[in-house]
Amino acid sequence: MVDAARHPQVEIISYAEVDRVDGYIGNFRVQVTKKPRYVKMDLCTGCGECAAVCPIEVPNDFELGLAPRKAIDVPHGQSVPLIYAIDMDHCIHCYQCVTACGKRDAIDFGMEPEVLDLEVGSIIVATGFDNFDPTVIPEYGFGRYPNVITAMEMERLANSAGPTVGKLMRPSDGRVPKSLAIIQCVGSRDKRFNEYCSGFCCMYAIKNAMLLKQADHEMDISIYYMDIRTPSKGYEEFYNRAREMGIRFIHGRPSQISQDPETHNLIVLAEDQEIGEVIELETDMVMLSAAAIPRLDTDEMASKLALSRSPSGFFMEYHPKLRPVDSPTDGVFLAGAAQGPKDIPASVAQGSAAASRAARVLSQDTWEIEPVIASVNAELCISAQGKKCGLCAKACPYGAITVEVGQPAVITAAKCHGCGGCAAECPHNAITQDHFTDAQMVAQLDALLADKPEEKIIAFMCHWCSYGGADNAGTSHFEYPASSRGLRVMCSARMDEDFVLEAFRRGAGMVLVSGCHPQDCHYITGQQVAAKRFSRMERLLQRVGINPERFRLEWISAAEGDKYARVITEMDAKLKSFDREALLAETLAARPIIGKRLARWKASPLMAGLVPLEATEEVLA
Amino acid sequence: MTGAARFDGGFVGEILAEPGGEHLLTCWSCGTCAATCLVRRFDPAFNPRLLLRRAGLGLREQVLSSAEIWQCSACDACYPRCPQQIHISDVIRAIRNIAIREGYAPPGPHAEVDPQRCSGCAVCTRACPYGAIDRVVTFIDDQERTIARVDPNLCQHCGICVAACPSGAMALETVNDRELVTRMGAGGWLERPGMLQGGADAPRILAFVCQWSIHADSEWAALDALQSDGLRIVRLPCSGRVDPAMVLLALTQGADGVLVVGCAEGECHYLRGTYLGRGKVLLLNEMMKQLGLASERIAFAQSGALDRRVLPRLVDQMRADLVRLAHEPAAAAV
Repeated sequence: MVDAARHPQVEIISYAEVDRVDGYIGNFRVQVTKKPRYVKMDLCTGCGECAAVCPIEVPNDFELGLAPRKAIDVPHGQSVPLIYAIDMDHCIHCYQCVTACGKRDAIDFGMEPEVLDLEVGSIIVATGFDNFDPTVIPEYGFGRYPNVITAMEMERLANSAGPTVGKLMRPSDGRVPKSLAIIQCVGSRDKRFNEYCSGFCCMYAIKNAMLLKQADHEMDISIYYMDIRTPSKGYEEFYNRAREMGIRFIHGRPSQISQDPETHNLIVLAEDQEIGEVIELETDMVMLSAAAIPRLDTDEMASKLALSRSPSGFFMEYHPKLRPVDSPTDGVFLAGAAQGPKDIPASVAQGSAAASRAARVLSQDTWEIEPVIASVNAELCISAQGKKCGLCAKACPYGAITVEVGQPAVITAAKCHGCGGCAAECPHNAITQDHFTDAQMVAQLDALLADKPEEKIIAFMCHWCSYGGADNAGTSHFEYPASSRGLRVMCSARMDEDFVLEAFRRGAGMVLVSGCHPQDCHYITGQQVAAKRFSRMERLLQRVGINPERFRLEWISAAEGDKYARVITEMDAKLKSFDREALLAETLAARPIIGKRLARWKASPLMAGLVPLEATEEVLA
Repeated sequence: MTGAARFDGGFVGEILAEPGGEHLLTCWSCGTCAATCLVRRFDPAFNPRLLLRRAGLGLREQVLSSAEIWQCSACDACYPRCPQQIHISDVIRAIRNIAIREGYAPPGPHAEVDPQRCSGCAVCTRACPYGAIDRVVTFIDDQERTIARVDPNLCQHCGICVAACPSGAMALETVNDRELVTRMGAGGWLERPGMLQGGADAPRILAFVCQWSIHADSEWAALDALQSDGLRIVRLPCSGRVDPAMVLLALTQGADGVLVVGCAEGECHYLRGTYLGRGKVLLLNEMMKQLGLASERIAFAQSGALDRRVLPRLVDQMRADLVRLAHEPAAAAV
């Protein structure tokens, strides 16, 4: 950190908030508000004389409230930059600090917040994690029993720069504990709170146990665990060393901690799985290995930067295997525990990777993007005619579309990822998605339904999940009927209701719309746009006279080849159960109604020759 | 029990298909349930973790024929703590359903009805927390009568029906009235006059303690050490088993106060037994007041199974109340 601060090309802006981020890869505009420190950064020498005279003491956040700090202070001894700041919530304006600062004259009570506008080429999000608060687990008594502490508190209590100068003490009576129980998976691997494994707790629990054991060989230390997970390089050896040191590992998750009301000793109740017996262990102190959880302001950051979140709540990477440090927004990269629980080596590795990914952007004058992007036809856009619409902007997961009444919608090509949600959402067909134009889609339908359409299942599949799922069904040799005809689009958001109607108008027997599961969507919220759109499909089909049972909506991931095969098999069975004549009659009756709905298409010169049904008319008749 | 040949994958499928059995396979055997389970205190062989493990492995015969599947009382103390949120008593019930279909039956004792005494009033039907008692029409001495019938598959032998029956027609091997009165009066404890009757120097307290309300062996040992002329502890399967007649019997026979201890809120081992016990004590308090007697002489208290040193505090408190009563003129006898 000190090295970074001294580097001529690095500027650290601390004690500041990101207000908003505009622009796109290579051309971001970031507005940052620097909070007033009431201490001039260029004049403060970090000598600390102001803090020495400050009469106000408040709980120290860095020490987790185990020690006090002054109203003028630095967060901790190794802070970079080492510049003091006044906490105005607690300052009493006695001005003793001003006197102490003397000729240096670094303190300025009139300081105002400062707004910075930065122009940057790329952004790395490394906002870290928060700690799970175990008070919500009543059976462990944290918050009620003074000698139950979290691992973070243990870090401070055992740290030589900490509040007890490295001497571990019991909060209840200040006595040095002779025994300690460490409980793993507190708030992680627990469906009540967080289902994920917090990852690095096993290692820090073992580390703490070893440090304490080294300081006091007599100390009786037990680690309660469900599974010890030490998969990285050298970690297993570390674990073995802990066992050899005599640290007791108990395979079982405690169900209850109770407290002896007189001695404040704790009684840990757990089953040792290996012997299948319930053991009560009386101990001086308990340390809870609390889970790492997403920072509480993750949502706010996500909306400022158009990031998405994994089901666990951490920021989601662009691709879990192939692009693990990229965010869904080009030019924004993720590092460290903001993306998922991580220990120090993994965080350093990801930080380095993110830095080199960011440098890749900065070192180039131009940036190549994917060819699949959307563009607006200014003549058709209703916004240009002074009407309020903005449906496209609402559907865009990347904030790439801006709409001002009186002007046609504008798509920033560099921000567009080509999901096609806007193209499907536009009620006036004013948006075209390159390589997936309406004409191309209808042309495919035309070909797929050229022969015996009533025996066909048209399956719309998103590129990333469902198409992979169908592929998986094939490579895994799952059998399913040959009646399905796949139609690939980039995202389920591109699947226009009109395509479904057009498929039925052309006589398709069944239509399947499939996409990613909500948390897997490649385009942040594309799946949600589709899910909302197709929740109305049943009523729409009823209105045009198509049996809604001929339509199905399924979320199929790339790993679910079996599901794809099952869905197609079920749909085929259903299709075969319909009376063929009735089906044909239904299609013929619905045809003019759908045709009327799709009248705007017919007007489009691109569609000429595609929309009329003369060719298929005979087939149906 | 060796060899993969006994793993029956079909058994797992059967449990998963049974309502309540859906989550069997999400168990990762952490042992939280086993360490929570109160049944284990009485029968260390009972281990919900192992039961689910055996079922998950497909050890059909071993699981279905075991006595353990019938021991869970569905108190659900384990469920809120399970990190996988498996409703363990539901899984066990699913296994029981399969066992019943295949002709297995619970081995334990269950409540029995004396057809001669039963009046068919249905008080027991309403009291039973498990819905194990219904009524059937039958012929007794050539007379058509409606009497209670206990389903042994559902009975958890808590004894609540025995306490509820106004005709003395319900019997349960381990907690019959005769047995309880014997335990109350052992060693002539009931014959000696109490402090309020001018006999003893200190209050004499009879405590009915639910056997589930205190978990640790060490706690029970400490309690047993407290027993003296001033304190008699009688364990009950449930505070709902308290029979008002016995409370009054104790008060007339030399006890100054009767303390009933049930489980903490939401921890009742028999679903709503604590609620029934508390209701009985409240009614007794009301009755005492109407008779112009000191209602403080009967008290109900709750203790979490894993709380420590609660009962001695409760007894001390009642003692203090009774000593205060002794100095008041209205401290009438029963």
